[in-house]
Amino acid sequence: MVDILTLALTHGLMAVALWRLLWRDDLDRDPDGEPARPRPWLRERQVSGDETA
Amino acid sequence: MLDLALLAFVAMAMAFGLRRPFVWVLVYIYIDCVAPQKIGWGLIQSVPLSLIAFIAAFGGWLVFDGKKGTRFTLRQAIIAGLLAYCAYTTTVADFPVEALAKWDWVWKALLFAIFLPLTLRTRLRIEAAALMMVLALATIVINGGIKTAFGGGGYGALALLVRENSGLYEGSILSTAAVSTIPLALWLARHGTIFKPDWRVWAFVSGLIFASLLIPVGTAARTGLVCAAFLAVLMLRSAKRRFLYGGVGALALVLAVPFLPQSYLDRMSTIETHSDDESASTRVAVWMWTLDYVKAHPFGGGFDAYRSNSFTYRMAKKTGIPPNETVTYEIVTDKARAYHSSYFEMLGEQGWPGLILWLWLQLLGVWQMERIRWRFKHRQEGTGSWQWGLATALQQAHLTYLVGAAFVGIAYQPYIFMLIGLQCGLWSYVKRTTVEPPKARFRLLDAAERAPAEA
Repeated sequence: MVDILTLALTHGLMAVALWRLLWRDDLDRDPDGEPARPRPWLRERQVSGDETA
Repeated sequence: MLDLALLAFVAMAMAFGLRRPFVWVLVYIYIDCVAPQKIGWGLIQSVPLSLIAFIAAFGGWLVFDGKKGTRFTLRQAIIAGLLAYCAYTTTVADFPVEALAKWDWVWKALLFAIFLPLTLRTRLRIEAAALMMVLALATIVINGGIKTAFGGGGYGALALLVRENSGLYEGSILSTAAVSTIPLALWLARHGTIFKPDWRVWAFVSGLIFASLLIPVGTAARTGLVCAAFLAVLMLRSAKRRFLYGGVGALALVLAVPFLPQSYLDRMSTIETHSDDESASTRVAVWMWTLDYVKAHPFGGGFDAYRSNSFTYRMAKKTGIPPNETVTYEIVTDKARAYHSSYFEMLGEQGWPGLILWLWLQLLGVWQMERIRWRFKHRQEGTGSWQWGLATALQQAHLTYLVGAAFVGIAYQPYIFMLIGLQCGLWSYVKRTTVEPPKARFRLLDAAERAPAEA
């Protein structure tokens, strides 16, 4: 009896959790997007490019 | 009937995966923790659930899932190194047949730990994986907790869902895992978005924590008590209202002691007097044996190398009631005693290289979580951010495991490796999504550099 009760409780919760995940867009993509990381090496390249131009 | 219900649950979850392949990763976590194929009796045992879920999880990720934001971290490389090294020691193991049997499940645990962080690209995925681990463990823990509360405990006597004494269903391992999971459950109650924090969530988590604390009582595993005490102290470090927390904790302890069964108190009192207890005294003997063993075999003896040990020693046995107590010494011979410690398990089985890799993996995790804590503490969101909370929870869980691991051979426990996978996922996520505060660098600009700035 206890076995059935706990199995039903946690499996029910897991089922609800999985169901909710199906409809969440942020599962596959973070909503705010990623902040641009500083890329000093790119800037340097740009600066050196300007110099040669 | 139970078989059908469990199979229906797995089938439903697998079907969900058709819409979101990441769900298959969660299904694997569930199957690996709960082992539904062992709960059922007939049909479900004949289906290779774990294999199907792993193929679906990996294939789904490889074929359907986006890879944006996927990073390979240093700790995953360390696990890969450990996996390769274990593969090597298995081929030259002292006990090839037994070593192969252990290798059979160890490689899966390590491989999944390497794979899991690759899929944890978003905040919601990290949360979903944590939630699945907690709920899967809750299945065993709540069940054991209720049975303990109604008086069905005892060392090796608590009837869990599965009759077998293996995996998470072994008393000491379950105690350690259950206590370690408490911080993670608390984090979900505070920062969850799948189940948003409300009175129902808090009611469930409170019940789960209570059940987790009952598990060491029900299984009479001394390790669990040590873990719980350690975690209680550790949580003081991050508690917002320390005095309140400390006071409530002490009060709870005082109230709980009269309700503990006498058999439990008797067993726990042997923590201090371990000389007259066979389980504890052989432990120390096995550890000494392991140290000797690696002197001759610095590269380890492969899985289950402990099988070659044998001890004969005198054990003190007290009879009578003090002060009329007589102490007699019995000669006891023991063969093939397991390590009863993850540190010595690693050392004996994988030698110094294995132990160093393993320790590196563990300690780097603790350090990385500390780095995240530090980084977020100094940001605007501070300690209220979910990243700070999760890093703290994962660190507390990990340290609690490392304490429990000193007394139980759980060096390759899949559940713990999932925890490590979660840490790698969080670390990579934080590195990717937050800008590291630049290190202050001061130097005088020279004339050429100053000129364009002024112009």
